[in-house]
Amino acid sequence: MVKSNRKNAARRMSRRQLLGAVAGVVAAIRVAPARATPASMQEAIRNVVGEAQVTKGKVHLDVPVLVDNGNTVPLSIEVESPMTATDYVKAIHVFNELNPLPNVISVHLGPRAGRAKVSTRFRLADTQTVVAIAEMSDGTFWSASADVVVTLQACLETL
Amino acid sequence: MNYQPKFDRRSFLAGSAAAFGGLSLGFHLPLGDTAAAAEMEPEVNAWVVVKPDETVVIRIARSEMGQGTLTGLAQMVAEELDCEWSKVTYEFPTPGENVARKRVWGDFFTAGSQGIRSSNELVRKGGAAARMMLVAAAAADWKVPVAECVAADGKITHTASNRTTTYGKVAGAAAKVEPPTDIKLKDPKDWKIIGKGVKRLDTPDKTQGKTVYGIDIRLPGMLYASLKACPVNGGKIKSFDAAKIADRKGVKKVVQVEDYGVAVIADTWWHAKTALDDLPIVWDEGPSAKVSSETIAAWLKEGLDSNDGLVGNKGGDVDAALAGAAKKVEAVYAYPYQHHVTMEPQNATVLYTTDKCEVWCSTQNGEAALATASEASGVPVPKCEVYKTFLGGGFGRRATSQDYVRSAVMIAKEMPGTPVKTLWTREEDMTHGWYHPVTQCKMTAGLDKDNNLVAIHYRVSGQSILAGVMPARMQDGKDPATFSGFYAGGAEAVYGYSVPNILVDHSMRNPHLHPGFWRGVNINHNAIYIECFMDELAKEVGMDPLEFRRKLMQQHPLHLASLNHVAEHGDWGKPLPAGSGRGLAQAMAFGSYVAACAEVTVTGNSVKINRIVAATNPGYGVNPAQIERQVSGSFVYGLTGLFLGGIEVKDGRVVQENFDTYDMMRIAQMPEVRTTVLPTGGFWGGVGEPTICVAAPAVLNAITAATGKRYRTFPLRNHGLTMV
Repeated sequence: MVKSNRKNAARRMSRRQLLGAVAGVVAAIRVAPARATPASMQEAIRNVVGEAQVTKGKVHLDVPVLVDNGNTVPLSIEVESPMTATDYVKAIHVFNELNPLPNVISVHLGPRAGRAKVSTRFRLADTQTVVAIAEMSDGTFWSASADVVVTLQACLETL
Repeated sequence: MNYQPKFDRRSFLAGSAAAFGGLSLGFHLPLGDTAAAAEMEPEVNAWVVVKPDETVVIRIARSEMGQGTLTGLAQMVAEELDCEWSKVTYEFPTPGENVARKRVWGDFFTAGSQGIRSSNELVRKGGAAARMMLVAAAAADWKVPVAECVAADGKITHTASNRTTTYGKVAGAAAKVEPPTDIKLKDPKDWKIIGKGVKRLDTPDKTQGKTVYGIDIRLPGMLYASLKACPVNGGKIKSFDAAKIADRKGVKKVVQVEDYGVAVIADTWWHAKTALDDLPIVWDEGPSAKVSSETIAAWLKEGLDSNDGLVGNKGGDVDAALAGAAKKVEAVYAYPYQHHVTMEPQNATVLYTTDKCEVWCSTQNGEAALATASEASGVPVPKCEVYKTFLGGGFGRRATSQDYVRSAVMIAKEMPGTPVKTLWTREEDMTHGWYHPVTQCKMTAGLDKDNNLVAIHYRVSGQSILAGVMPARMQDGKDPATFSGFYAGGAEAVYGYSVPNILVDHSMRNPHLHPGFWRGVNINHNAIYIECFMDELAKEVGMDPLEFRRKLMQQHPLHLASLNHVAEHGDWGKPLPAGSGRGLAQAMAFGSYVAACAEVTVTGNSVKINRIVAATNPGYGVNPAQIERQVSGSFVYGLTGLFLGGIEVKDGRVVQENFDTYDMMRIAQMPEVRTTVLPTGGFWGGVGEPTICVAAPAVLNAITAATGKRYRTFPLRNHGLTMV
């Protein structure tokens, strides 16, 4: 995560708001069943995006199509952007449908990041859709999604 | 020295045809060129291929490990397809094909007693769709409305004109028909194949030695690997001296396996194994080197009274009710680690190149093996493939972890272009299992002055499977599987008694052994805890164990029905000579209601289990004859665990290494088992797993009835008891 500079104080404010929004979402989820749902993922996305339109494109989401154990799933997101002072990716947000919480990670970037690319590992509780949304400096939102199959290898009763 | 023979597909195919001539593989051999691929029979849809000679090939997604799911699934497709059962054969599509075709065959995992019940709608619809397409093709050819045609036993008839044709004749045209979207399934009352005890499709090949298991795979130019991991789970490998075995015959390479093990690759498995035995290895045994069964037991014992209980079922106010109870009864039980002891040790054969990774293995989850092959090799999923063989036993071992695939891939990566079969020794398999978790249970019951059960507290202390295998499935820090058989409601594992004040909680303590899903999973020890303690309570109030239970089960009619059935058919209440006794047990797990009435005769320390009368209500029974066999088989497994099993730990290591110290029940010890399937309809419960759990508590209660002695710790060999 790139440290913001003074020029981005406004953005720092919005990050706090974002965290507040996320916390709000978290609180809401806690009283609901212990799992996110496609509906709560949409709500979490709305909390970030507001009323703005989200367009498919510019975002390359790289996650394996089939995963053995959802414990450490490799995740890589790259967004097409020149990453100049006037045209850059402000943030990359990742959401999921069925983990206990719908938010996976929010990464805040600036022009000094050089490239809008993030790689990490995350947990997936079950087979589900993962959505990555890029927030651009011009206020537009772009997205990509991927379906990940987590092979359920368990003698588990479906409780 | 790198061994790099040229491995080309043509020689592979020729070699395989010779090696596998007449053998039943169940899968297509990998075909290198598209022309040959096109020769494969056209499918009506993904589930059904009909050959010109009317043979029907049904695609089976799940694994066959002796449980009979292969036949059950085929029955379900054939039922809706309306073909002749005698013409049915099968094929296992590969997980790679499933991924490429957007998972048209759904889930491949074969565990949790889910094979039939989670497939049933999907496969029946597949069969029905194929039938509809075949009929549509015939109708189009005759230029008549579909509604005027009838399909039965592989034939299509246009009733008005009395024209008939067969599936084989129209299959080619059917493949081109638009797949139907509105598919109606038959009413269960019209089933002709489902519900019949048809003979299994895999038995003939198995009795003739034709079946290919993972351990049987032989590919041209194949090398063999023997593997050793640190004897203390969680420990690492420090060093090994390959030079000391450099001159051993047939040895090609000695390779470290990740951070925990070492393998020898050689021209024969025996050369690999014996060289590995002589390889000097230095282990870093890690933090668990001083753990023993005694230290584990002491740690678990603390959890019986600790403040860290995770709640699984709570009703009323147990503390208050116990405080005010006229009489309190308490007991502590303990159930040990168990090993899966699949007859076929863990193994996998891998052919790795940077472009492609292929695995041949016995697995309970083809897709998990595929994902593991991709993760371990670094080759993307679309360029990996897994060919599933028949399993020489699964029981959950081959579902819990695909570790045997991962290590085989890591080893094969050291020999790109050469197939390598990694086969574990029995000792390696026994000491590196994913064990049924160790637990203890303290039970405290409160009775009122009229001897009614008013409060009960079950505190389970012990290992969580999910924490060790799939932490992502924990819920609010709890392992829900721990509470199997204790749930207040739901469709899977409901507690069959009504007690106004109840608390079931779990103090999670995870020793260093890998936990795993052992056939039945947590209901194995939970049923012992619940059902043996129920007998203790009945004795405390001087009531017949059946009557004591009945009083508490009025709100649980399905649990009660299974229990009543075995009591009646097990001659409950009829007199027995001194030294003999009967015992009851009932439980619900994996969606099914199971019960058993056991009758034993005890002479000194010798226990003869004369008979077990069992009942299982799985909602629907696809193949009742197979269900009966599953029950008997599960009793072998559960009683072996009760009398002879029990994995011990010393110096961080698993003590039992082979069948000399971890024995199995023998045919002569097997009781007569009479099973009734009581399908009440309306739900789909499992069969592979729940049935096991009632054998042990029913036998234990019978032993107490016969001798007056109560056993609360297991295995029974620790008390000197033997099955005869």
